[in-house]
Amino acid sequence: MAFDKMELRDIEVWDGNFAAAQALRQCQIDVVAAYPITPSTPIVEGYAKFLADGYVEGEFVMVESEHAAMSGCIGAAAAGGRVATATSSQGFALMVETLYQASGMRLPIVLNVVNRALAAPLNVNGDHSDMYLGRDSGWIQLDAYCPQDAYDLNFIAFKVSEDHDVRLPCMVHQDGFMTSHTAQGVHTLADDVAYSFIGDFKPMNDMLDFEHPVTHGVQTEEDWHFEHKARQHNDLMTKVMPKIQAAFDEFEKLSGRKYNIVESYNMDDADVCVVCMGTSVETAREVAQEMREKGIKAGVVGLRVIRPFPFFEIAEALKGVKAVAALDRSSPNGAPGMLFNEIAGCLYNTQERALLSGYVYGLGGRDLTKAHLVSLYKELQANVDAGKVLTPLQQFIGVRGPKLAFL
Amino acid sequence: MSEMKKIKNLKEFSTSADRFEGANLLCPGCAHSIIVREVLNATNDDLVLSASTGCLEVCTAVYPYTSWDASWIHIGFENGSTAVAGAEAMYKALKTKGRLKQPDRNPKFVSFAGDGASYDIGFQWISGCMERGHNIMHVVLDNEVYANTGGQRSSSTPIGSSSTTAPAGRVSYGEKKNKKDMVAIMASHNIPYAAQVAPNKWKDMVKKIQHGFAVDGPVFINAVSPCTTEWKFDPKDTMHLTDLSTDSLVFPLYEIIDGHELNITYRPKDVVPVEEYLAAQGRFKHLFKDEYKYLIKEWQERVDAQWAHLNRREEARV
Amino acid sequence: MANTGWNEFEIGAMLRTFEGKIDDIAGTLQEDRAYTQNSSFSASVADWRIEKPVFNKDFCIDCQFCWIYCPDISIISRDKKMIGVDMDHCKGCGICVEVCPTNPKSLLMFSEQADEEAELAQWPAKDKEKK
Repeated sequence: MAFDKMELRDIEVWDGNFAAAQALRQCQIDVVAAYPITPSTPIVEGYAKFLADGYVEGEFVMVESEHAAMSGCIGAAAAGGRVATATSSQGFALMVETLYQASGMRLPIVLNVVNRALAAPLNVNGDHSDMYLGRDSGWIQLDAYCPQDAYDLNFIAFKVSEDHDVRLPCMVHQDGFMTSHTAQGVHTLADDVAYSFIGDFKPMNDMLDFEHPVTHGVQTEEDWHFEHKARQHNDLMTKVMPKIQAAFDEFEKLSGRKYNIVESYNMDDADVCVVCMGTSVETAREVAQEMREKGIKAGVVGLRVIRPFPFFEIAEALKGVKAVAALDRSSPNGAPGMLFNEIAGCLYNTQERALLSGYVYGLGGRDLTKAHLVSLYKELQANVDAGKVLTPLQQFIGVRGPKLAFL
Repeated sequence: MSEMKKIKNLKEFSTSADRFEGANLLCPGCAHSIIVREVLNATNDDLVLSASTGCLEVCTAVYPYTSWDASWIHIGFENGSTAVAGAEAMYKALKTKGRLKQPDRNPKFVSFAGDGASYDIGFQWISGCMERGHNIMHVVLDNEVYANTGGQRSSSTPIGSSSTTAPAGRVSYGEKKNKKDMVAIMASHNIPYAAQVAPNKWKDMVKKIQHGFAVDGPVFINAVSPCTTEWKFDPKDTMHLTDLSTDSLVFPLYEIIDGHELNITYRPKDVVPVEEYLAAQGRFKHLFKDEYKYLIKEWQERVDAQWAHLNRREEARV
Repeated sequence: MANTGWNEFEIGAMLRTFEGKIDDIAGTLQEDRAYTQNSSFSASVADWRIEKPVFNKDFCIDCQFCWIYCPDISIISRDKKMIGVDMDHCKGCGICVEVCPTNPKSLLMFSEQADEEAELAQWPAKDKEKK
């Protein structure tokens, strides 16, 4: 190999973007096709610098749009090699057409999505609008809460996505600025250890195998389309979770860091709980601990895997809970929030159906404060005491003006 | 670089083993596949191909059939060029890393797209590919209309033709805008090779394709592809229409090397009046009404001016 | 394949042209290739035709115009000789007849139902008007 290894300290101070860039370097990506967009840009800048400094070997293709970035990634992945890129927000939105094509062609591509709001009005800060936009695209979606997660989940992403029983692209999400630009201590893996965790890329149906030519991206009309879409859904529903769990288990042995499909905190005896994603999980954990000192048995459930949706894992995590709040950081624009709906689905057929209410928060990077969560937990406790939901089913947190609540 | 395939004459060319198959779903008499065959048969090297959404794509990869005897990919309408550029990037990466399965091959990366997919919706993607210097060839199958969706105008549609979105009618002669000069735009990216070709002049075309395969860097080829369905002529007359297009100089055959060195590669012995070219096609039928005959005259003047311009550029070597 | 269930496909709707390995595609003639059922080579569009070309080898000069201008890879040329028309893949467009330079033509269009032997027996004579 004609590139140098990098000596890392056991703990480095990295923000989420640099952690992801380091993970891409250690995974020895063959092709990165990318287009810059705030706040994800430093990931591909980091990769470009590693390449310029001879710490990785491959092709970095700086294209003219995010649509072209994913188009190039698709061509490169179909050719047969390890492929990754990063984007956010409007760039993610521009990519959407090709996201469906990447997953429909069953190409393992890793996309780091640094979550950011969607215009209009234009906003560069973190919310989950772009992440939600990708949820029906047929990709696996993993969610990081901090730079450490952003680093670790990239390895999980390659391992699962490239598995020949899976062959589905994977997004690794982190919150714009809150994670991507916030430096924290990150426990590292040595280059060799990291690479051997994911292993060499194993080509499948690769266009560059000239002895076995393949046709990718065919047209299927009403007589074939349904079967192919059904196959993809089946594989997302049945094959991905066991592979993710196996990858988490193996990663724990390697690093000592344990990840779970659903991250439960203080849930063993919780009466009330918050279900959320991203950096909010860490805030909620802190508040839940404090609520216990105030006599409220509070817990937190964070989604580590967003797609495939952990239907049974969430139902299991919420067993015995009396009131649940679903926190959506994306404007549902005329409906209950995605998490509210999905969790309602998980709970509906359970014996002890918990009281469920929804909250919309943090749009465009608005902070979710501890005070917000304290009053939220109090509302949940009041619901428990009354045996019914006392508030409207959908409430907005932290928005100025008259109280906004629906349903 | 691999050895160039020797094609002295048509008999020798006819020993080629085609890598494009019949029982595709293209219309009888479609020029697309004639062009595709001349491109693919110009080399014996391995091929990595893409097609943007359009007639060629929807007629050659409809499940469960493929008409391609080489690796082929379709993503969308706008990004066939970038798909093949991505594959080319992977080829380079794996070559550097010593991971190619058959390292002794010299694959050619070719993207096929219609004029809609090239002049309009895919314009930015192709421009990006040309600017970045990928070792790929983009071939436009220029039938001057969105034929796959039933004949809507594109920015390649010529003045005076009737299309479904710029139809001739009681008070309109159809398309009002002049065709975009895509070869000039692409050559302005200072790419090593850009050329206009026509399948009737197969020797000129094959020579240009081989030149394109031999250079290092992006190549742009604009191929005239008479469309029996949308130009409205009998399928048996495809080659006759192609002859009219080149011999009337409506589609002059030339090449531009390194963005500036222009060579005219075909000078018809007997130049055919543009009127004959127009008269052979239903899409221009209305121009022969008295009130629109001035447009035929303008057509001829425009073609003459374009020819004079190309000649001046050739002479000036700029 | 028409009854194939969702669980019986290659993932990604990927298609293979050939059975197993093929070393040198450009150096292998169609008759020596192991096409899969997914190659359109294995399919037929014969039912598209209203008229069909009939080849009369007596007048053919093997110029290969029909070979290069056939849009459907249906002119079978081997060792620089035109040997016939692939009637599974010919759509009956008639280009081969139009580009045939011989006098009389070596290819002519007839109705799909016409009897080839009978048509060959009454092939037109040389047209003295034409050069």
